Amino acid sequence: MEEELDQNASPDSISFGDFMPSASLVGLIFSVVTFAISLAMGYYQISSEPSGSLLSPAILSGTVVCLISILAGVLAVWHFTKEVNPYIKLGQGAALGFLTGAVMVVFTAVFGEFWNFIDPEYTEKLVEATIANVEAMDLPDAQKQPMIDSMADSVRQQETFLSQVLWGIPVTGVLNLLTGMIGVKIFAKKDRQETF
Amino acid sequence: MNRISHPFLYFFVLAGTLFILVSSAGSMLWGNAAPGQLHWTEQLFYGVCHRLPDRTYQIGGAFMAVNTRCFGIFAGLFAGWLFMPVYGRYTAGRRWPLLFLLTAAVFQIVDYVGNLLEIWQNTLHSRALLGALFGFALPVAIADLFINQKQMNKT
Repeated sequence: MEEELDQNASPDSISFGDFMPSASLVGLIFSVVTFAISLAMGYYQISSEPSGSLLSPAILSGTVVCLISILAGVLAVWHFTKEVNPYIKLGQGAALGFLTGAVMVVFTAVFGEFWNFIDPEYTEKLVEATIANVEAMDLPDAQKQPMIDSMADSVRQQETFLSQVLWGIPVTGVLNLLTGMIGVKIFAKKDRQETF
Repeated sequence: MNRISHPFLYFFVLAGTLFILVSSAGSMLWGNAAPGQLHWTEQLFYGVCHRLPDRTYQIGGAFMAVNTRCFGIFAGLFAGWLFMPVYGRYTAGRRWPLLFLLTAAVFQIVDYVGNLLEIWQNTLHSRALLGALFGFALPVAIADLFINQKQMNKT
């Protein structure tokens, strides 16, 4: 099967549409995983007593989610080289990485909207738990208030679907574009040279 | 610039990393947001950085849009990309760039976990420096794909 793919493949025959299966599949899987982690950590924070620790579950999940999500570009290129064409070029890998990042942002925003129907109070409960945690911190009041305002604003103002997508795509897209190129370096086969 | 084999992609990514770097300066460079409004740079990095105030550089109460580690990563990324034509020739056909990237990634994880488990306490600057190392390692790992070997051999 792979040999057959190998014989018929050429990087020049790759079109934009060829990227979609890998970008959609890997973007979907990564958005499910990252959304599930965020949600689990969010509910854990809501149900826990405020610890006053700076590294709350929601913050920890943010770090883990960020690290996981930049790997999507590499995985998308790996999937592409296995299933579509092993001779992917550098620019094509970069485009695939960017597209995968964009797909991931869109799916995550869709899941967020979906979860608003299932538990409409989730965002507000998370904001309250976050504020309670900051209030329990051993910090001067002058330092606490800006933290509370900033965290509450961050969560509330990212509620709309469009703002999540428009603000999310540039950075996630560029980071996955870079990892997409790393994917090309690791997984792509070198273009065949004509010999006479 | 004949040294670069994909000039359009090189400059596109250079512009992208520069945009990310200058945006990450947040209200330190771009001024404060209106009261009750989230700064546009904070919206931009909302999904990728927690931006805890005590882990973020600030000048006179004006904070960056990302924490020190993320700022280090973005600064290292831009520097590594900018200087790619200079160091690129030393990466071609070598294995060390990927090992360098892996080592930098492991340093990040070890530093993060060590601090989390309270084995040691990292600082603003140590997080920024380790972040910069990781950011720099990313373009180094793929530099050989951008280097025009024929042109290099001529010079």
